[in-house]
Amino acid sequence: MIPEDPDLDTRIAALEARVPLAAAPPVPTRTRGSRRSTIAFVAAPILVLAIAATAIAGAAAAGLIAFGAPGVENPGQPLEGANLECMTPPQAAAYLSARGFTNVVWQVETTAKDLSDPAAAAPPIMTTTPPEHGYVVPGSIVDGELLMVVDQRPGATGTGACADMPMP
Amino acid sequence: MPVVITRRDAGAFEAAVGPLYPALIRRLTLVLGDAAAAEDVAQDAYLRAFESWERFDGADVRAWLYTIALRLAFNEQRRHRRWLAAVRRLEPRPWRDSLDPDLQAALGRLEIRTRTALLLSAVDGYTQREIATMLSVPEGTVASWISRGRAALRLDLDDHDRRRGVPDQPPARERQGIATPGAVSRRGPAPPR
Repeated sequence: MIPEDPDLDTRIAALEARVPLAAAPPVPTRTRGSRRSTIAFVAAPILVLAIAATAIAGAAAAGLIAFGAPGVENPGQPLEGANLECMTPPQAAAYLSARGFTNVVWQVETTAKDLSDPAAAAPPIMTTTPPEHGYVVPGSIVDGELLMVVDQRPGATGTGACADMPMP
Repeated sequence: MPVVITRRDAGAFEAAVGPLYPALIRRLTLVLGDAAAAEDVAQDAYLRAFESWERFDGADVRAWLYTIALRLAFNEQRRHRRWLAAVRRLEPRPWRDSLDPDLQAALGRLEIRTRTALLLSAVDGYTQREIATMLSVPEGTVASWISRGRAALRLDLDDHDRRRGVPDQPPARERQGIATPGAVSRRGPAPPR
């Protein structure tokens, strides 16, 4: 039996009721027999906005990682001087594994760097298997996991000691 | 009150599910702690619900929609946390309640499934069995989550009040209904900061 607490329940309900709303629901309408095409048509503007936002966030995020956000290779960090950015993802994975970094998550960025082309945007892929190619961008340790970014975006140039080398 | 669906078309979907959308956004904002993430998940859930509308059994449309959305939220949470942590300078869009910030913070410290179960019970009035079905866990697990969630919230809120010197503190055991069932705190929301 769970003890009830009406006062607490009322406070929680009131708290939830005060959450501001900024988004309207999608408006899925259809004629008989054409559900998928109609919902796609109606949702298209929303999806384009969402994709554009993802593209901007993704590009900005990768930029921040590449240009100065603290990472495991920064001075005083565990992998200072490792130059992981000069390795292919599998090489970096082997290097990390040999040094005891067994809990590694690879965040693969494939979003188009050209923000005028939001249709090319895609969310990052999170995987524990290193991809075969792409620029390695050393990440940081979060909750015991080492997060490594792999930049596969068209037009990417790499970062750090091996910036501008051909994409691995 | 469950909404009984008889017409399986888009109009019926909008009529039944559309009005639930604001409540869904609010629920997901509390569950995920971030308005932007809540909107993303809500939109995804809404579209998935539409796609599977013909398979809906017509019983409780809110429970059905919440089940879809909360499972998406649980999946999203881990990926989203990693992503935000990796791009620390990109701020999420956290919501801050000015009227009851202590309760909001205390809720935010609960584990996501505990928080979700507590909200489904406290706000929506779902039974443990119904919540167990929605979250795909045993009923006993739900009972444990809700019980521990309430206790943790009370202790957390009491700590805040003690630090502020708020008087009129009944013993925690009383408020949890252990010594004197039915006893509740009479304190309202914390004053605005």
